[in-house]
Amino acid sequence: MQDAYERCVYLERLGLFGCVQCGKCTAGCPINYVTTQEEPFNIRRLVYDVLNAPGEELASEKHFLWQCTTCGTCSLRCPKDIKPRDVVMNLRSILVEDGTLPPAIRDVLKSISINYNPWSLGKEKRAEWYKGLELKDASEAELCLYVGCTPAFDSRLQKLARSAVAILQKLGIDFGIFGTEEICCGNEIRRLGDTWSFDALREANTELFNGCENIRQVMTLSPHCWNTFRNEYPGLKAEVLHYSIFLARQLASGALKPAKEFAKRVVYHDPCFLGKQNEIYDEPRALLKSIPGIDFVEFDRNRENSLCCEGGGGRMWIEIEHAPERLANIRVRDAVEMGADVIAVACPFCLLTLEDAVKAMDLEGKVQVMDILEIINTTI
Amino acid sequence: MASKRIGVYICHCGVNIAQNVRIDDLRAFAAGLPGVRVAQNYMYMCSEPGQEMIRKDIAENRLDRIVVVACSPRMHEPTFRNAMKSAGLNPYCLEMANIREQCAWVHKDADVATAKAKSLLAAAVTKVSLLEPLEEREVPVTKTAMVIGGGIAGIQAALDIADSGFKTYLVEKDASIGGHMMQLDKTFPTLDCSACILTPKMADIKNHPNIELLAYSEVTDVKGFVGNFKVTVKRKPRYIDENICNACGSCAKYCAIAIKDSFNAGLSKLQALHIPFPQAIPAAYVIDPLACRYTREGTCRQCEQVCKDLNAINLDMQEHSIELDVGTMIMATGFEPFDANRKPELGYGRYENVITGMEFERIVSASGPNQGQLLINGKKPKEVVFIQCVGSRDKTVGNEYCSRVCCMYTAKHAHLVREKLPDAKITIFYIDVRAFGKGYEEFYDRVKGEEVYYRRGNVSEVYRKGDKLICRGEDTLLGQALEVPADLVVLAVGLEPSPGARELGQLLKLSKSPDGFFLEGHPKLRPVETGSDGVFLAGCCQGPKDIPDTVAQAGAAAAKAIIPLAQGMVKTETMVARVRAEACRACGYCVDACPYDAIALGEVRLGRATKTAAVVNEVLCKSCGACSAVCLSGAIQQSGFTDDQLLAVIGAIGKEY
Amino acid sequence: MSSFEPKIVAFLCNWCTYAGADLAGTSRYQYPPNVRVIRVMCSSRINPAFIINALLEGADGVLVSGCHPGECHYTSGNYMARRRLVLMHRMLEYLGIHPDRFRMSWVSASEGAKWAEVVTEVTEAVKVLGPNVIKREQVWMQQSL
Ligand SMILES: Cc1cc2nc3c(=O)[nH]c(=O)nc-3n(C[C@H](O)[C@H](O)[C@H](O)COP(=O)(O)OP(=O)(O)OC[C@H]3O[C@@H](n4cnc5c(N)ncnc54)[C@H](O)[C@@H]3O)c2cc1C
Ligand code: SF4
Ligand code: SF4
Ligand code: SF4
Ligand code: SF4
Ligand code: FES
Repeated sequence: MQDAYERCVYLERLGLFGCVQCGKCTAGCPINYVTTQEEPFNIRRLVYDVLNAPGEELASEKHFLWQCTTCGTCSLRCPKDIKPRDVVMNLRSILVEDGTLPPAIRDVLKSISINYNPWSLGKEKRAEWYKGLELKDASEAELCLYVGCTPAFDSRLQKLARSAVAILQKLGIDFGIFGTEEICCGNEIRRLGDTWSFDALREANTELFNGCENIRQVMTLSPHCWNTFRNEYPGLKAEVLHYSIFLARQLASGALKPAKEFAKRVVYHDPCFLGKQNEIYDEPRALLKSIPGIDFVEFDRNRENSLCCEGGGGRMWIEIEHAPERLANIRVRDAVEMGADVIAVACPFCLLTLEDAVKAMDLEGKVQVMDILEIINTTI
Repeated sequence: MASKRIGVYICHCGVNIAQNVRIDDLRAFAAGLPGVRVAQNYMYMCSEPGQEMIRKDIAENRLDRIVVVACSPRMHEPTFRNAMKSAGLNPYCLEMANIREQCAWVHKDADVATAKAKSLLAAAVTKVSLLEPLEEREVPVTKTAMVIGGGIAGIQAALDIADSGFKTYLVEKDASIGGHMMQLDKTFPTLDCSACILTPKMADIKNHPNIELLAYSEVTDVKGFVGNFKVTVKRKPRYIDENICNACGSCAKYCAIAIKDSFNAGLSKLQALHIPFPQAIPAAYVIDPLACRYTREGTCRQCEQVCKDLNAINLDMQEHSIELDVGTMIMATGFEPFDANRKPELGYGRYENVITGMEFERIVSASGPNQGQLLINGKKPKEVVFIQCVGSRDKTVGNEYCSRVCCMYTAKHAHLVREKLPDAKITIFYIDVRAFGKGYEEFYDRVKGEEVYYRRGNVSEVYRKGDKLICRGEDTLLGQALEVPADLVVLAVGLEPSPGARELGQLLKLSKSPDGFFLEGHPKLRPVETGSDGVFLAGCCQGPKDIPDTVAQAGAAAAKAIIPLAQGMVKTETMVARVRAEACRACGYCVDACPYDAIALGEVRLGRATKTAAVVNEVLCKSCGACSAVCLSGAIQQSGFTDDQLLAVIGAIGKEY
Repeated sequence: MSSFEPKIVAFLCNWCTYAGADLAGTSRYQYPPNVRVIRVMCSSRINPAFIINALLEGADGVLVSGCHPGECHYTSGNYMARRRLVLMHRMLEYLGIHPDRFRMSWVSASEGAKWAEVVTEVTEAVKVLGPNVIKREQVWMQQSL
């Protein structure tokens, strides 16, 4: 029988011996924060278990593996460069290979192989968000707007994609989209441990992008897409940018000039895949601060210390049972306490989780969740 | 050329070599090589019986060339040279084949290691038969030493050298000596008052007839070699003559410009015109040119008026450089505390009540900004949390090493908190507690007994909840994350090399270890020496250490630095470049290549005629061989590494045996 | 062909790489036995003729390694060596020798692990190139004489 360690594609077991059991990973882990003391999610303990586990039993019984948002805080805090998050991803990949999956995850993975998106929706549905818009095909422009699956399908997020279009048009930038041909980037799929599907998506996407010789730059709406394109697509020719970086460059060059007032108190929530994982902290802030009339405030827990919203790593499809509190609720409560009118985000997942929290807490009149794209769009 | 009589000696190095290299094979192989008269093997060639074996063979078999097949020549070349010398053989007729570091220890397969050892041995035999006897020369030494850095390490080293009768320059970049020890309140584990044990030594520096203190100065250039260094020292303008100023301080009252007090770790302010701290040596005021209104804007000169009688203030003072001749040097540039801003998640710079260990020392010090009262924002903290290993043992900031003092200073800090605030709740987060020194474990036990909660695990993040800070860490013994509230968080920052040490090290050609600190000559046997002859290391510039270790190392460095001064002579390079004038084209390529300006073109006698040719100054030549590599006519040759010798080695090493 | 074990001649400066190789030994880092070390005091001692000679005399690859730039024991010897030896690649090409048979590296006295890495890399690279032709021809000529 094949040794379980060997099946951990990305796991160097020997590297784990360097762990000094300092617990910084666990203490920083947002999921540890919201799980109970009776059923804690303890990533340090997991590292220790994997280190000492007798081969095969490694992943079985570890159903709590699906709780991790792959926010990367543990890897960021680890003084010994252990990358505990990758341990989670690897154990998940064993579960994927063995097929012992929660039904919701199974559906996601199945949809990927059939529809090239995780939302179990037909390919033609991708055309919904740009209904009525006349947009070029990606192969005809230097800039490709990559909207990603969730903004393409989710009715709330479709607004986001349309804001991006509006901004680019107002700036007079020539761009195109793949439309119904767009394929899932695979970021969440990879985080869910399905490295096989991920490899297929990567190949298909690389072929798609590299096949369009005109494309110089790709702008993504989601930091999740950007993360995988940036870090896990070695063969991509075009430069891929999250929109916050793209627009911050436009701001610096003077092309983008927010002119209309946005007289609201705005607090910015750092998405993990933009901040903690890719160290983009300043660009979104520069965009917000450039808006006339804005009263920009910071969460106490910001930048490297930001709190995850629980939207990543497949957590869009899985709930933690008996969680005493949701992180998104904490975030919203903090924002309300600070008197914020708007929680600004730069990630579609954050938008959904925080908005859900606002609704669940009945705070709809009090505080609003908006993506920076939407805010910028109202000011130019 | 008469054929050479070579002796080959193969060392087992106990089992170090013998277990991976077949000694008998090797000896039989050596015996068959041309010129080899004797081939022997022995358990430890470097031991006295081993050396005696060589001496005996030299006498009995009239050997004139020796090959030792053993460890690295960097280790034992001098040992075997001495053995040859005492047997009346020129010590430069030696070649070593390094089959320990290059075969036995790095190749497990005995066949492979033995085959490789053979080719290294053959190359050594080839080279030795071409080696020529060389003459050793000596030059007189400048009987003066220089110590760079005036912390406790530099102070101790300078005093020790000066006490043994040699003139010593002590160069300190700041306006006063004392270093970090001066900033400490108490010292672990005895809780001695740091300033009380340091200031007498600082006064000794000032009063010692053999010590010349060059404070507020920096070394900008170093030329020469052991025994005869030429050091350029930049003297920064103090704007106040330290020989006249009597530190009355009247002038400072008139200076209206406030700057951060770096001695108090920036926790208080002082004037642009100030004395760094009351016990400063030199006991003189100084003006910070970056802050002074006159040096910046060209008007003011208030202070000059006040000091009219003594006239110690001179705002037109200029920076100038002096050149000093010294025989040996000691580096004592110390450390810099880790910048806690590089661990943003711990809240330093974001929350006022997150401070570093160094700031804590100043706060609790009677001479500090609060006269020793432990107050945070004017209030006594009720809950104090210490976080260890900040910036140490941490790959994310590139510091893999343990800083060695922060466990103990944290224990000391906890004790001081308990002393000042009997009711405070004190928590220390740690990964491991390293209490390795004399009396340290006992001190740690004592501190724990003072109701200090040691939590095994480290803090991942610090954030605010209401008016408290929350330190979130895991107690890994419980397997549970904890949120410990705090009014004061103290970060046990580690030690990093002092910022200017890197450039200074390059001037002195010192290597660094991967941790960034200066590399010692040998980790076990040459702990204060360096790769540069005549340059020694003391204190934290070599690696983090506590005061006892610093003082001990400073004494050792002083003793080593005294040796050449006491001997009065140092050997110059022996393997210098030599010129065959008849072949020299006088092209001057070598003149340009020499990094030491040791070559010049000059008239030389050749029989009855004279000719222009390269001439080597053998005292200046450091034996690098650069000249030999550029000479197209093969006229200039580095002794011991001539073209003929190296080409023969290339031939021998490429063959199959 | 896969069993081809190249011979690499390495010229190491005494102060940095030779000391680094010693450290590799003391730390027991294992590396391919293909390398044969010739000690010189400084990398600046190396003359291009030595490299050509080594290739003629049986080496399949040549490595010159000294102190990191700025850290040469003789201040600037390694800069000189670098200036002289970068041209080496062009010269080898001109002579019909694959330039990858020659490499320069900087390994300090504290980089034992790096020395082991460099040796492994060079050995692998030369393995790919196969036996050195000039050397082989020489052997062939000797046999037919
Ligand atoms: C918070 C804290 C608490 C501590 N508590 C204790 C304790 O209780 N007990 C204990 O044993 N140890 C303690 N230590 C360790 C102790 O401080 C050191 O062992 C000691 O200071 C080392 O002395 P040093 O002379 O090597 O270095 P330093 O004290 O750093 O002195 C170096 C000197 O060199 C000067 N310098 C630097 N670069 C140059 C240059 N280029 N040219 C000229 N001069 C230069 C500096 O200005 C400085 O004066 C503590 C350390 C810290 C950080
Ligand atoms: S990636 Fe984030 S959620 Fe997952 S274990 Fe690490 S810290 Fe916890
Ligand atoms: S942070 Fe790193 S070293 Fe510490 S317990 Fe977690 S994995 Fe181990
Ligand atoms: S001395 Fe203690 S606190 Fe400092 S780095 Fe070492 S283990 Fe950490
Ligand atoms: S060996 Fe040649 S280049 Fe080197 S120092 Fe001596 S004379 Fe100068
Ligand atoms: S001494 Fe090492 S390269 Fe010059």
